[in-house]
Amino acid sequence: MNENWALFKRNLFEFWKAFRRNKLGLLGGFLVLTAILAATFAPLLTPYAPTEVIRDVNGRGLTFAPPSVHAPLGTDDAGRDIWSQLIYGARVSLAVGFLAGFIAMFIGSLFGILAGYFGGRIDNLLMRVTDVLLVIPDLPLMLVLVATLRQMDLHVSPLVVLVFVIGLLYWTSTARLIRSQVLTIKERQYVARSRAIGAGHVHIIRKHILPQIMPLIVANTVLIISTAILIESGLAFLGLGDPTQPSWGAMLNFAFDRSAVTNGAWWFYLPPGFAIVWVTLGCVLLGNVLEDMLNPRLTAHHLESNQNMIAIQKREGE
Amino acid sequence: MNKKLFVLSLLVLLSLILSACGGNQPAAPAATNAPAATELPSSILRIGWSGKPDTLNPAYAFLSESYTIFHLIYSTLTTQSTDGSYVGLLAQDWSVSADGLTWTYHLKDGFIWNNGEPFTADQLVWAINAIMKDTEGWATLSSYTAGFKEVTTTDATTIVIVTEYPIANMDYRTSFLYAFYPPDFEKFSTAEELQNFGNDAPIGTGPFILKNFDKDTGVVLLDANKEYVDGAPKIDRLIFQTFDNTDAMVQALKVGDIDMLTSVPASAFETVKGFENVKTTAIHNSYFYELIINSVDPNNDPAPTGNPALADPAVRLAIAHSINKQDIVDIVFQGLAAPGDSIIAPAMGGGFWHDPNIKDIPFDTAEANRILDKAGYVLGSDGVRTKGNLRLEFRLQFPSTLSVYARIADMMADWFKQAGMKANPETMDEDSLIASTTAVGDYDLVLWSWEPDPDPDFILSVLTTVQFLEGGWSDSGYHNPAYDQLYLDQQQLVDKTARQQAIWKMQEMIFNDIPYSVLVYEDLLQTYRSDRFTGFIESPLGIESTQSLLNVEPIK
Repeated sequence: MNENWALFKRNLFEFWKAFRRNKLGLLGGFLVLTAILAATFAPLLTPYAPTEVIRDVNGRGLTFAPPSVHAPLGTDDAGRDIWSQLIYGARVSLAVGFLAGFIAMFIGSLFGILAGYFGGRIDNLLMRVTDVLLVIPDLPLMLVLVATLRQMDLHVSPLVVLVFVIGLLYWTSTARLIRSQVLTIKERQYVARSRAIGAGHVHIIRKHILPQIMPLIVANTVLIISTAILIESGLAFLGLGDPTQPSWGAMLNFAFDRSAVTNGAWWFYLPPGFAIVWVTLGCVLLGNVLEDMLNPRLTAHHLESNQNMIAIQKREGE
Repeated sequence: MNKKLFVLSLLVLLSLILSACGGNQPAAPAATNAPAATELPSSILRIGWSGKPDTLNPAYAFLSESYTIFHLIYSTLTTQSTDGSYVGLLAQDWSVSADGLTWTYHLKDGFIWNNGEPFTADQLVWAINAIMKDTEGWATLSSYTAGFKEVTTTDATTIVIVTEYPIANMDYRTSFLYAFYPPDFEKFSTAEELQNFGNDAPIGTGPFILKNFDKDTGVVLLDANKEYVDGAPKIDRLIFQTFDNTDAMVQALKVGDIDMLTSVPASAFETVKGFENVKTTAIHNSYFYELIINSVDPNNDPAPTGNPALADPAVRLAIAHSINKQDIVDIVFQGLAAPGDSIIAPAMGGGFWHDPNIKDIPFDTAEANRILDKAGYVLGSDGVRTKGNLRLEFRLQFPSTLSVYARIADMMADWFKQAGMKANPETMDEDSLIASTTAVGDYDLVLWSWEPDPDPDFILSVLTTVQFLEGGWSDSGYHNPAYDQLYLDQQQLVDKTARQQAIWKMQEMIFNDIPYSVLVYEDLLQTYRSDRFTGFIESPLGIESTQSLLNVEPIK
């Protein structure tokens, strides 16, 4: 146990040493981490509750007020603090993004592993399902699904509907990616040997295949989360989110519904837009770097650092 | 895919910055565009609206945009004037017999169809009879002829309508019985054939003639009827244009692509007011927003699922005390509405029907707390009052169609908290909400709105018991036999003052029992280019009313 812990600590340290050198990765990590921290400590960071109406001395609501001492980012059409909504909105947007991302990752990995490992009819069946979902345009399908599900009187929050629709539709690329990896891994000699010894399918998948593709899954999940956040914002902007929860997409929806553009209230729609860019950019950068680092197949030689590689190439070029 | 996401993020960023820059630009293009319009050979009034007619066939038109067009191309016996009273249009004068069963109309001279033929009384009688006898085919107009027994001409200029029972709102009904050209509508044998008819080249006697209606884009083109009997319109052409996005519509007015908007969102009104060469109008209207409190009979089948505490009059009164209507007006409607009290707005019918004796329940959470204390609801440690099994926690549902509802719901939840009640706002698809309110009663509190007819009859019918039991319009489940009886009585009170008294009593019942808490009456907000046109008549009918469009003239 102790040995394992030490090994894990060493691995983590090594990883950090490598990660630290990558500027873009660090930036991505910073962007994502700040968003998570803001969501976690929202009550400490905000001067108002997200639904609280800010009033002037006469008790009238300050609607469409530009940024000032009272409201650091101004107020919206109902006189509520944009900054507080933005920070609380991180909770909703991140929660939907992460939950949907994990669901998608789980389904994608399961389909990918099963199809790749067992092959034959199972592969055919699962991949045809994947293909069908892959060729249907995502956004229109989601629009129709969300709208239909909301009519079905399910007595669940619209956010739950969003999480499941995004999660249940966004796993196709993951499944294909994982399947191709599993296909190569299962042909390796040590897998064949353990099968010869008599290891069962579950054992082989757990002990030999999963550890090999885990890095790929992790990197892919981060990327899917960014897509999920973008999609959630898009659907909420189109009015399919939960207007009682201040997600970033819902803020944009209100901004355009309540004539923020006509009123010149840029402080109403720019901050949620920036917030979406902040988190998705962070996830994309982080995901790309993780993919590079964790997937040995993407680096030419895992013993060489980037600088050495360039040096070698240069020498060869000369 | 990763690269795509990265580029996408950058694009989003870029477009946000660009849109921010565009928001505050001055109205420079307006001045350069204006002269171009006056150079055209004829004067064209271009009207922007967010809807479009569903069909131009009066037998099967449901949207109010269709009726705006009908009123421009067809004439009716009577019409509502801009002060809310009814005046003759085809009719010179009219009278009713002492028993209230026989109505005699004397027609004006000189109406001609826009194909040149003279209009005759027989043709109008044919039209009304067609509606009366084919209630299935004339689905949308047949309610206006309900109770008609016989329609005949006695001479070339006199029409007599005999009814089965006295009809109180006859003037209102005859203002929707269009004189349409019989050859256009004679050829149909089944209801389906009639309803599928597009009526794309209608022949009418109204002040405007339809030139073109594009069903896809919604553009309606109308030319002035230069032969119109009451004086030709002072403009030559009308164009109605549909906009999907209100911001785009407002911008189109600002730069001068359109001359008039039939509706401006409250949130944009102050900004539009500041535009150069643009005049805005805000008129009190009878459109109202209400909080529906579940009033379904507990013995109903299926049993309602509403919180049983809502049956307690004390709880209803406490809820009414916990609504700050002025705050809703100021914040959600930017001051462009009036606090509401009765289901009949003061703006309806020129103020004749609204009960002036109703004194609204003031916003006072201290009083709400007192009432609930006295009724035995004890404040729990979680801030919610309880009494035995009753707990004052409610679902507060609202349709997802308008963002206004979400704003009101959030504010209401805050006020309820101050009185020891809890409201959980929840958005619903409008169809699901209709399904759970009508005939079932699966809700506690619902935010919604009504656009009443010009006559009080319809909105009063919404709260009758029969409308709930038969799956009609009732979304509150209100059941009061005295109210139902008064509703039937007022339908037959041809004497206006007697009808007014009955309707006042009905309003007081609703006000005291609180199946609806009427929140606000929304103003009718419109705007037009004052540098191009003048003479719009401001009234609850809107500046697009026939009277207004007849009066509008271009500025030379």
